[in-house]
Amino acid sequence: MTNLYDSRGQQPPRSGLILLQAIILALFCAFALRLWYLQVHKGEEYAEKAKENQLRMEPVFAPRGLILDRGGTMVAVNEPAYALGLVREDVKNLEDTLAHIAEITGAPADKLLDTYKRARKRVKPFEPLLIVPDLTFEQVAAVESDHLRWPGLEIVIRSRRYYKFGQLLAHVLGYVGDASEDDLEKDSSLALGDYVGKNGLEQVLERRLRGAKGVRQLEVDATGRRLSETMLKKPKSGEDIVLSIDLGLQATIARQLEGKSGSVVVMDPDTGELLALVSAPSFDSNAFTAGLTPEQWKGLRDDPLHPLQNRATQSVYPPGSVFKLVMAGAGFAAGMLDPRETAFCQGSLALGSHVFRCWRKGGHGSVDLNQALVQSCDVYFYKLGMKLSVDRISSFAFAAGFGKPTGIDLPHEKGGTIPTRDWKLKRFGEKWTKGEDLNFAIGQGYTQVSPLQVARYISAVINGGKLMKPNLIHGDPPVVQGRLPLSETQQAIIKKAMVDTVEDPRGTCRRILTPGVVAGAKTGTAQVVRLTDELKAMPEDKIPYHMRDHAWMAGFAEQGDRRVVVVAMIEHGLHGASGAGPSVKAVIDYVFLGKGVGPAPDEPEAPDNDE
Amino acid sequence: MSPIDRRLLIHINWPLCGLTMILFLCGVMNLYSASGFRMGEGMSVDAYYQKQLIWGCMGIAGMICMMFFDYRHLRTAAWPLFWLTIALLAAVPFAGKTIYGARRWLDLGFMSFQPSEMAKICILILGARILSMEKERLGFLKLFMVLAIGLIPAGLVILQPDLGSGLSILLLLGGLILYRGLTPRVFKTMLVLVPSLLPLAWFGLHDYQKRRILSFLDPATDPLGAGYHIIQSEIAIGSGQFWGKGFLAGTQSQLRFLPEKHTDFAVAVFGEEWGFVGMIALLTLFCVFLYQIVIIARDPRDLFGSYLAAGIFFYFFWQILINMGMVVGLMPVVGIPLPFISYGGSATLVNFCLIGLALNVSMRRFLFKQG
Repeated sequence: MTNLYDSRGQQPPRSGLILLQAIILALFCAFALRLWYLQVHKGEEYAEKAKENQLRMEPVFAPRGLILDRGGTMVAVNEPAYALGLVREDVKNLEDTLAHIAEITGAPADKLLDTYKRARKRVKPFEPLLIVPDLTFEQVAAVESDHLRWPGLEIVIRSRRYYKFGQLLAHVLGYVGDASEDDLEKDSSLALGDYVGKNGLEQVLERRLRGAKGVRQLEVDATGRRLSETMLKKPKSGEDIVLSIDLGLQATIARQLEGKSGSVVVMDPDTGELLALVSAPSFDSNAFTAGLTPEQWKGLRDDPLHPLQNRATQSVYPPGSVFKLVMAGAGFAAGMLDPRETAFCQGSLALGSHVFRCWRKGGHGSVDLNQALVQSCDVYFYKLGMKLSVDRISSFAFAAGFGKPTGIDLPHEKGGTIPTRDWKLKRFGEKWTKGEDLNFAIGQGYTQVSPLQVARYISAVINGGKLMKPNLIHGDPPVVQGRLPLSETQQAIIKKAMVDTVEDPRGTCRRILTPGVVAGAKTGTAQVVRLTDELKAMPEDKIPYHMRDHAWMAGFAEQGDRRVVVVAMIEHGLHGASGAGPSVKAVIDYVFLGKGVGPAPDEPEAPDNDE
Repeated sequence: MSPIDRRLLIHINWPLCGLTMILFLCGVMNLYSASGFRMGEGMSVDAYYQKQLIWGCMGIAGMICMMFFDYRHLRTAAWPLFWLTIALLAAVPFAGKTIYGARRWLDLGFMSFQPSEMAKICILILGARILSMEKERLGFLKLFMVLAIGLIPAGLVILQPDLGSGLSILLLLGGLILYRGLTPRVFKTMLVLVPSLLPLAWFGLHDYQKRRILSFLDPATDPLGAGYHIIQSEIAIGSGQFWGKGFLAGTQSQLRFLPEKHTDFAVAVFGEEWGFVGMIALLTLFCVFLYQIVIIARDPRDLFGSYLAAGIFFYFFWQILINMGMVVGLMPVVGIPLPFISYGGSATLVNFCLIGLALNVSMRRFLFKQG
């Protein structure tokens, strides 16, 4: 026992005891300070970080607005599409998985890897990366049947745009496509994989059609598992758009234009609404939503007939004799035209050394304004042109809406050309010559107009002088863009001449004469190339296609309160009446006689996607 | 003499006893929250807190057992215990079980245990015995002798490999040496020598240990890897702010952003839910708890008792310092639990037993007066 009491009575080391107490104090102070720093000083910052850990915001897609024709037929809808999503965090072996995807879809594995690498940066953890945007049903089935072996692969259901009349309305509707890097940069509300309008109304009305995405707040745990979700902001569907287009009329015209290149515009002169806007040949909008292959895109772009071109708004042509309607206006506006005054046409007019010919070699004899328009006498207008000269003509042409875009809701519209002295000096460095006044007067030379501009001018002539904004959306309030500087009487004279052109036995537009309908029109033939004597001597059907003249017919038809303006422009159609007349006639027959083809969808209805 | 008579009971350090109970109950309550996690709208609780309660009951039984015998018998047992420990540690490489890539466990048939735990206690007792016989502050020779005794088990443990436990043994012994005191010359030398030798230790570290230290110095370098623990732990504590988020309301723990939340990082759960107020209260409890052990060391029956208490003090002190330091981002991530707060069966058992030993020293402090 004594052994146990060895150190009895000795005091524990004082310095040691002080040390123990000191380090307790140090412990307390150090931690109290640190805790104050973390929890009080920086507490709010850390609370914010904890929230960021816990809550994630996720966009909720808003359905894109539907598009209907004026009769209520849906022409652009949304349908479910199946994309293959890849959740990187769940994928065991990326290389094998990509090889598996390549096997199912037939896409090359290195391209998939490329897609993966590009998209990876923009995808949040546990968010599926869309590796293949469109899957067929067979592919969906193949993925689903094997999904246990391939964790991290999932089918993502997206909404895809489908155009029921993809060919018929391609130039009006345009198409949507995946938002490009550029789009994403410009618009922060867009995310990778979103569709945006790339052309046509889809592009111009993007804001109205898109709607607004909603926001869903997800509560997640550290493994990314979703615990609860709250809708913070409901998605707002895009606005549905009703077109001014009459699908039946559009289809009738398209049928009539089959095999030709050209365009037809049908306008309500009082509101500016377009009942039809057809450009032939066309393309299929749906080809773009599915994603064009480079070959397909090359084919469309390099097609010699330019199917992507909207010939009613993006093509401009010399107006030919249609311009005589503008000349009449210019004469009135300048106060230098007396409609009763006659001019004598002997088949040509000499100016200096140059001889300007009338299209009718024998001449028209003595013609007043009415007859000059009815018979399309060139000499009458040569003389008027000399009298007015370029300044007065172009000043009226600008007032009539030529020389600048109409402002229709379609992208890349062309404004055409109305020459002026300055313009020529700037463009060619040369002075305007007297002879050019004459060419200008019959719509040849530098002047270029779009069919849509012509339709707007004709509308203004018969609606009381109002220059209406061409409108593709039914019910949008009409916009008056300007007024013709013409009195009602003067407008009536021009209108009367157009009616006579149809009804007079010598009129150039007799072929559109329709019982029970008052119609008026003016033809035009636009030279594509200055005809050589050799060409002139050739029979018309021997002239090479691309050298043949363009055919114009611009007119209106009315019956009771109902009236429409029609402009047809057939490329290389040779003569106004025979080339463009049938299209105008078809419109009149459809609108007033109810004759026409019903709209037929380009493709059968999309297969029933419900599983 | 009955092993425990009434006078002995009176002299028990009841405040220490009470503080231990309070800390343990705080730990169990916190574990209930730490083992819960959200599933959808509901909540699911793992059974850690129940297991901890059972271990606690066993621990209290162990604590009482540790009070029945006179602690002075441990002096006699110190050396035999030491050799037994060395034998067991030496047996581990041959007979040990491998868990998580390290051979640390001995399978006794009915239970597994880590000889490294035993090594800590044996160094505590042997250190108390040797140092309590030193009448003077330690000179170089004595210091190296004592260190050599500690280095044998510490080296064996580090080779397992279990760097954490090995260092704990050395820290414990180091604490006792400081308690005894060094001659000024030795003290100054060590003050220069130890810090300058530390960088050499860097080359002996495993890659994962180096990564932990680097990520402690700058958590942002590897936010999803080694730095993740530190970042999430600081977010948990910091987001508790002044008053805390409330019991069971900590998002960092309930949604499992906080790793190891029922073991090493349990106190971060506490900090998130009880805030600055709760943490200061807990810190105060720990400090008073440690102070009570200091009181035992101050008024012992003999020097051996004093050194035993000092050893127990350091046993707890280092764990509190390292664990809390890690959780609040003042120290690198080392797998050392916080006494009574972190979940852990054998650790709880050992903690209670050591408190029992401390109480044993305190209850017998006036024994010599009766002869």
